Amino acid sequence: MLRIQNLSKTYPSGTQALKNVSFDVKDGEFMVVIGLSGSGKSTLLRCINRLIEPTEGKIFWDDLDITAAPPADLRRIRRKIGMVFQQFNLVKRSTVLTNVLSGRLGYVNPWTSLLGIWSQEDRQHAIQALERVGIADKAGSRADALSGGQQQRVGIARALMQDPKLILADEPVASLDPVLSHSILQYLEQLNKEGITVICSLHFLDLVHRYATRVVALKDGVKVFEGAAREIDRAKFKEIYGEEAQEVRAASL
Amino acid sequence: MPIARIARNTLLTALVIAAFVVSYRVTEADFPRLFRDLAKGKDLLTAFLTPDVFTRDVETRTVSIVFPIPCGSAPTESLLPSEGPRLVPSVLCAAPLETFTLQGFDLQPNSEVVIRWRLPDGRTMTAIRTETDANGYFTYEVQARPIQSTVDGVASRLEVDTLTPVGGLKPSQALKDVMDNMFVTIFMALLSTTLATVIAAPLSFLAASNITRKGCLGTAVYYLFRSFFNLMRSYDPLVMATVFGFWLSFGPFPGFLALTVVTIASLGKLFSEAVENIDAGPVEALNATGAPPLHVVRYGVVPQIVPDFISYIIYHWDINVRISTIIGFVGGGGIGYYLNLSINDFKWNQAGTAIWAIVIVVWAMDFLSSEIRKRLT
Ligand SMILES: Nc1ncnc2c1ncn2[C@@H]1O[C@H](COP(=O)(O)OP(=O)(O)OP(=O)(O)O)[C@@H](O)[C@H]1O
Ligand SMILES: [Mg+2]
Repeated sequence: MLRIQNLSKTYPSGTQALKNVSFDVKDGEFMVVIGLSGSGKSTLLRCINRLIEPTEGKIFWDDLDITAAPPADLRRIRRKIGMVFQQFNLVKRSTVLTNVLSGRLGYVNPWTSLLGIWSQEDRQHAIQALERVGIADKAGSRADALSGGQQQRVGIARALMQDPKLILADEPVASLDPVLSHSILQYLEQLNKEGITVICSLHFLDLVHRYATRVVALKDGVKVFEGAAREIDRAKFKEIYGEEAQEVRAASL
Repeated sequence: MPIARIARNTLLTALVIAAFVVSYRVTEADFPRLFRDLAKGKDLLTAFLTPDVFTRDVETRTVSIVFPIPCGSAPTESLLPSEGPRLVPSVLCAAPLETFTLQGFDLQPNSEVVIRWRLPDGRTMTAIRTETDANGYFTYEVQARPIQSTVDGVASRLEVDTLTPVGGLKPSQALKDVMDNMFVTIFMALLSTTLATVIAAPLSFLAASNITRKGCLGTAVYYLFRSFFNLMRSYDPLVMATVFGFWLSFGPFPGFLALTVVTIASLGKLFSEAVENIDAGPVEALNATGAPPLHVVRYGVVPQIVPDFISYIIYHWDINVRISTIIGFVGGGGIGYYLNLSINDFKWNQAGTAIWAIVIVVWAMDFLSSEIRKRLT
């Protein structure tokens, strides 16, 4: 279980991106974080693996205090938390295989991997991860030769290499068209069914309804909702997305 | 306030004009001279356009006859041959400064002819040049130059060399020297660029804000290296070469050192900017996997900067060939030094060869480096 307690983040610029946010994520949940642009979703997800240092508050993972972990322990924790990004964050000039293998860097022998030498086992593991997302044939291509949807699948394969217990997905489908969005989220759903906890931020409510087992909504860094997707009615929607929120979106409820 | 503005503008214009007048004076600009001294320039240009590049081996054959001056001071040639390569003067002896006709028959055809006097003590004088025709014939009005040349009854001889080019063209000595010196310059540039790369590449990470500028210590290191690069870059390689030259005595080594130091600074700065311009996304992603910091750099940063780095290195090699040419001029060895020597010795054709070599190499490096850089993306 992941327990987020009174989490606050104030950037050096003075922006308060998170204000006293608390919630729990149980193992095996598909937790979706929603909120307007700038509401603090990315900040929240990055605080969990401390890519961003929280200003205040604590995050426990099975009684392990992530917020207090020294660098070496933090790296060991991060190994078990895969992350998927809106912009895929692949090394564009490297091959797909190298991108996937690099998900394993937290585990492997630091010397050989520094020289770019990988064991046969790791390579097989990487090919299997690519097979899972259906693009094993692209292993030798340069990452930037792939389409957006394919790149995001490489991103998922890289996370799989970590053998993760938790996957953080920060708007994984925001740069993809609706059909691709479903295909990517279905991979995450599949992983979730196999026991990996998923915390995912999303923009479109129809996707939220389709995939979320639970939803947390942020507004200006404050948690304004926590519950099942179906509990978000018109009034809640307006509260989360503001009065001027598009009627189209509201109508889709 | 139109008056104030007019006054201000007038003042500014006057200042600008004054600045130009002063500049004109101090540079001793004398454009008409470009045309007055055209003759000198033309010689230089001719030499430049006829570089000393190829030579041919020359076969020299000599025929000679006895030629007493004045008549009676010594016996004349007793029997002039009537066939084979031979000289036939219109008279067999002459008074000093008398003019006579010298003919040559059946000599090497189409060859340069050198006519000279060989005195009894072995010295020679008065070399005249002419040419044989296709039949190996020449004729020339010769003046009996050596006055009272007969010594102890031994007369001077009239000697004629025919110089015939044989065999194919081959590189001239100047071309060989230019090539040797060009290699010195190119490899001096290569070595200094390589050494500078080895030093600048790791240091550049310390001067990249996205890598180093974290915490107090990081920020201090970042500013230290950044200002080091900026400071070193502001020194001119030529000035630095001169300083090193006084310290280590002139030659290729101080030039090489100067070039290396300047290149470290320049590449360090360019590299660190390349590192700063990378996409931060992959670095973030690798940090998220729990990869150790060095591996984040190896897998997240290095692949992104390699094309930029290679492109800067090649670009710098190109620049360093030019700089080391100029450094050579102040005593740093290589092609610049050779050019300097040629000019000091008034060997304009040699200098022309060197200048052509520089033009060709600089052009080739420029072309090569832009071609390679085009392919790196
Ligand atoms: N590195 C940063 N420095 C300063 N302020 C930041 C930084 N990153 C984010 N912010 C600010 O913090 C607030 C929350 O940003 P965050 O990126 O977490 O929102 P988000 O919900 O992910 O938005 P989006 O949907 O646009 O991705 C915003 O006001 C943003 O401007
Ligand atoms: Mg975001």
